[in-house]
Amino acid sequence: MASKVPPLLEPYLALPPEASLILLTSVLGANTNWLVLRFLHSALASPGDEDTKVVFVSFVRDFAFWKEGAKRLGLDLEKLAAKKRFQFVNGLTALFVPGMQIALVGKAGERILSNPALEPVSREILGSIQNLKGDRGRILLVVDQLDLLLAAGSEHIGVVGLGDMLMGFREEVHSTVTTLAADFPLVSVQRTPLEKDHAAFLLSVAHQADFTMGLRLLDTGTAKDVSGVIRITVGDQLIEDNRDIQQRIEERELLYFVGGDGGVRVFERGQ
Amino acid sequence: MSFRKRGVVLPQSGSASSSGSSSPPSAAAKEQAKGTRPSPLTGTPTTSTGTSSLDSLFGGHSGLVLGCSLLIEEQGTTDFGGAVLRYYAAEGVVQGHTVHVLGVGEAWGRELPGLSEEKPKKEVAKVDGIGREREERMKIAWRYERLGEFGTSGREKTPTTSTFCHTFDLSKRLILPSPSNIHFTPLSTQPDLSFEPTDPSVSPFTKFLTHLQTQLSSSSPMTIHRIIIPSLLSPALYPSHASCPEHILQFLHSLRALLRAHPATTSALITFPFSLFPRSTGLTRWIEMLSDSVIELAPFPSSSLQVKAVPGQEEPAQGMLNIHCLMGGVGGGDDLSFVLGRRKGLVVRPYSLPPVDGDQEGQNPGGLEVEGGGKATKVDIEF
Repeated sequence: MASKVPPLLEPYLALPPEASLILLTSVLGANTNWLVLRFLHSALASPGDEDTKVVFVSFVRDFAFWKEGAKRLGLDLEKLAAKKRFQFVNGLTALFVPGMQIALVGKAGERILSNPALEPVSREILGSIQNLKGDRGRILLVVDQLDLLLAAGSEHIGVVGLGDMLMGFREEVHSTVTTLAADFPLVSVQRTPLEKDHAAFLLSVAHQADFTMGLRLLDTGTAKDVSGVIRITVGDQLIEDNRDIQQRIEERELLYFVGGDGGVRVFERGQ
Repeated sequence: MSFRKRGVVLPQSGSASSSGSSSPPSAAAKEQAKGTRPSPLTGTPTTSTGTSSLDSLFGGHSGLVLGCSLLIEEQGTTDFGGAVLRYYAAEGVVQGHTVHVLGVGEAWGRELPGLSEEKPKKEVAKVDGIGREREERMKIAWRYERLGEFGTSGREKTPTTSTFCHTFDLSKRLILPSPSNIHFTPLSTQPDLSFEPTDPSVSPFTKFLTHLQTQLSSSSPMTIHRIIIPSLLSPALYPSHASCPEHILQFLHSLRALLRAHPATTSALITFPFSLFPRSTGLTRWIEMLSDSVIELAPFPSSSLQVKAVPGQEEPAQGMLNIHCLMGGVGGGDDLSFVLGRRKGLVVRPYSLPPVDGDQEGQNPGGLEVEGGGKATKVDIEF
């Protein structure tokens, strides 16, 4: 049976140092869901550590999906939410559908974003952070597919505003993990405003990130026992100021396989 | 000690869990809506796309998982995707599901393929009463009859005998029941006779979304909904401002939200012609990212198609089917091709190059060489 957290990824999934930013990139067919779940697991399931709390914002998936995935890792998100260690911010259900949040009000452990403008989104997420923070404890903020706001949001949402919002979150939390799409069509040619904005945002986040975990499909085609490639790249700042994290973080490229039961195996090439 | 009776039913691997005895009592007690069945992989309810080989593409789920969407992209001017949509709609009509169609008129609904008559008589009888049919009741189900009527209107009975995926015939037309359970919603653009320019800041999808929202929230939990969006963004149907990321992506995001909010009763099928929106554009990629499964139909150019199939041989493929992402996806990288036939519908199968003309040995299956240089026929080998 595949272990819950792949041993090869353990150093990367451990709670990152203060003020760090970790970027996970995905492409179509190689999504970051399993990696996000393992970040949640390593932050919330370590025994004896009650101080780490997670605020989790998801823009394209609902709580049921994440709950199901976390349950397979032995993590009960609802229970953790009741213990004030976890807060889910739902950016899917009511973001662009008026009137949807009424049906959902009162669900445990869930906050619903219902206004797609930057200011209310930011306020809601900051509120969740403050709410969970209390007097002690470190908050890990996980934002899944923040780029959706940029792509689908109104034209008032720009790269700079979104970057500022992310920076504002980072001031309030211990550490931040965010996932963005890095598909070739979104970053390469940059003809339309959608593509230009996406590329600019992705690049700016990538430059700020302490390290980047990029997922992509196998270059040589599909295989039965390999789902994709994960590449870990250390960011600019780490190389410059030579912090102790650098000992933990090693640049490498690994293969991974996600089984039908959600179990994940990570291995080196040729293994 | 070792003869103690165990209370636990061992799970049977590979059983389709359609029979009540192999599934745990809790699942058996839960009533299944007509035309759905639990996925053998995860137990989530699935429904049929009306094309059985497309169903089997969904790996372990063997059906379209409810609460999810499938995007079918198509290159060129053909409309194979439209055929798949019609099968999907026809399957919904036959199963008594509620079908919601965006952007096209009622004429579209009159062209649904009819049920194939090669079925046993019982299936044919279904055509007239569709959905609300007085299905011939199996003897074993007689004592559950009352239970069915107890909950809703009584038409969503436990489908002990019902078919998951019907066979349709493209040359026939499906007779729609009246009142019809297909809803056609036009795009919210200006009425035809007004000469004012359309306001590009108004999303053309709002009417459809409100319609879906009211329908989904007001329907009973046993009513299955099928959402059909033919030729998304095609300029023949859509105004040009529909392709603003603001409109189309917000719509797809909302559709996703609605599907997720009703995970046991909805499914959606979208076709997307991408000659005008190639896959190398960011917009197309976002449309793909907001769908759960994405497949691409790449028809062969008509010049390379064989006009007539060689009798006794399977029909030549009409195009390739590429999988971009799929829920419970199939492993392995077999090249897939598709054939659209009148009787069989769309058939997806592994692609194999046809034997070269004149290559008699290649076309003669079972023609193995045996010692002595002679050909061994099937009879010789079987002893």
